[in-house]
Amino acid sequence: MSLMHTLKVGRLARKLEEILKVPQHAFGYPLLKPAGLTPRVREGLIHLCPSGAFAEVEGIFSLDLARCVGCGRCALAYPEAVGEMRSLEVAVTRKEDLVQRVDLERGGFLDPGPPPSPRTELRLPILAFREVSAGDTGLADSEIALLGNPFNDMGRFGFQVVASPRHADALLVTGPVSRNMAEALRRTYEAMPEPKGVVAVGNEAISGGVFAGSPQVMAGVDRVVPVDVYVPGDPPRPGAILHGLMLLVGRMTQRLVGGVLR
Amino acid sequence: MEALREGRPVALFPYGDRVLLWVEHPGGQKGALGLTEAFLLGERRRFPSLAAEFPALDWFERALWERGFEPVGHPGLKPLRRHDLPYTFREFPLLHEVPVGPVHAGIIEPGHFRFSVLGERIVNLEIRLGYQHRGLLSLMPGKGAEAALLLVERAGSEPVAHAMAFAEAWERALGWEAPSRAQYLRRAALELERAFGHLGHLAGLFTDIGYAYGATQVGRIRALLQGELDRLTGHRYGRNFLRVGGVWREGQPDLEAIAAYREELARLLPRLLKNPQVLDRMRYVGEVRRAKALALGFVGPTARASGVGRDLRQDDPLYPDFTPVVRQGGDVLSRAQVYAEESLKALDYVLFFLRHLPAGPLALDPPLGEGEALARVEAGRGEVVWFVRVEAGRVVMAEGVDPSFKNWRALELAVRGEGLPDFPLCNKSFDLSYAGSDL
Repeated sequence: MSLMHTLKVGRLARKLEEILKVPQHAFGYPLLKPAGLTPRVREGLIHLCPSGAFAEVEGIFSLDLARCVGCGRCALAYPEAVGEMRSLEVAVTRKEDLVQRVDLERGGFLDPGPPPSPRTELRLPILAFREVSAGDTGLADSEIALLGNPFNDMGRFGFQVVASPRHADALLVTGPVSRNMAEALRRTYEAMPEPKGVVAVGNEAISGGVFAGSPQVMAGVDRVVPVDVYVPGDPPRPGAILHGLMLLVGRMTQRLVGGVLR
Repeated sequence: MEALREGRPVALFPYGDRVLLWVEHPGGQKGALGLTEAFLLGERRRFPSLAAEFPALDWFERALWERGFEPVGHPGLKPLRRHDLPYTFREFPLLHEVPVGPVHAGIIEPGHFRFSVLGERIVNLEIRLGYQHRGLLSLMPGKGAEAALLLVERAGSEPVAHAMAFAEAWERALGWEAPSRAQYLRRAALELERAFGHLGHLAGLFTDIGYAYGATQVGRIRALLQGELDRLTGHRYGRNFLRVGGVWREGQPDLEAIAAYREELARLLPRLLKNPQVLDRMRYVGEVRRAKALALGFVGPTARASGVGRDLRQDDPLYPDFTPVVRQGGDVLSRAQVYAEESLKALDYVLFFLRHLPAGPLALDPPLGEGEALARVEAGRGEVVWFVRVEAGRVVMAEGVDPSFKNWRALELAVRGEGLPDFPLCNKSFDLSYAGSDL
């Protein structure tokens, strides 16, 4: 009976291109439209965003993807100024590539230059990783766990979870790193053999997210251990995390430069 | 005191320099199972401890102690969330000790478990949490409704239930109610969140006993239901959906598909739970008796699987003929049965609420003003409590209690006398939130 049922259900694994796309019904990652950024709109955006992702400093208007909670209210209220990126290939190797900066005088995006070339010693055909949740609500953890479900099936891409840091090539970290977890995170990292990589998964892991102002958190994984890849999202969908892993092992490239897909 | 003897504490938190206790009991102010609030006697951050007589208050009083209050006469004060204070584990001189955590072998949140074992038998388990403490409550004062909700949605792993309790507390504080279309949509999301969570507990249980077929099939339907939650709320876990005053949006989930998943689950789950491998590993394992569940004030499926038939949805007039799912066994199997049956009922309610959506706006702006109120919502893991005091659209103070905070000690009880290898199974059968408890 179970066998019949399994056969009837059939194959579930989705194609890689499909996993890496934002599903049709959902809001993707916001993208500024420089032409629509009038003073009234800019003020409106800064006032509207509940998580403070927009800012204006000395003629530069910016949108920090690592502060965006993905509610999509900006794109609804100001469609002339905020569009959408519908790819989940958003993992980056340097934090500044998560910020869109528009020069208001010249009216275009600032280009921070090509991202540094990724490390080569982690180009492994099979990558074993360990996960540490450090103040995460459990949802980014859940998304990492769901990478192993029959739809995503990360095993076919050569990624597997291991129980001990001693067996791990990479460490995935979620959460803003609560003070009470900082020591455990450091020791987990130290227990890993070289070469080792670290992926910060989710906005809280990148810069503390909504907990950034709390004295109880370190506000970012890179304040405790060195980070190779940042995956923005709140929490990032499994596809975005998969792109982060692919970027770490050099099988995919970084597409987000200066916060814009290239 | 009388109320506590007949009922159960709902929340205990600081209110200025005093301590406010909320009790649910048969003689309460509102209805048959209403709430009574009272200040504990005492002055200047000192109050008489009740934990010795009512162990359900133990963790509450320890949390208060960490925040500078003094429960006079508490039987054994130890820190709960603060790791800068000294902590000593209970000692069992002749037994072997097995420390586990905070970093675990699977992809789960951190916590420390200290087992005292005789051979493979667990004589005692002491759970030490606090690793997930982010200081959430201290960030609340001064926040507007939207910024506060961002934090509330990150309190525990059930964002819809937390947001709903907080939004209702805010609205009640102003003597106001969200429009009825929003009420229905909120409950649809809440029930979808419940089904998604419960199926996750079940898939995890099947994984832990090596029943790959069960884990894969339940996990598959769960992933599909997550897609529907995503369609309804615009977020895979239902964040950014609720607001004070209503809801932000109304997505279009596929009702036919949800009905089909429900039918498949109705055929699948009873069969899985009768599998000999499942019965062999889950029956009579990790028992929590009714008397202890009552004395320690457990909530949600944990309490209902031990014969305590309380579910906050009983008091909600929007649920048509609601009866709680109750099992008497108190073991892992009973909890699995409660998850299975409740997930089916939850999907029925999703369909009911979405098929009977009343006309009207999705949200209205509540008036500015001041007031304070407490609201409770039955989340997948049990009752979520939020108390908020608002003035001119800003939070003056807010206190929240995740159901996991009340249920962690059920795990300590459940594993006593069990073999050490059964611990992961017992743990998964409660599947508690660490972040929710640590806040």
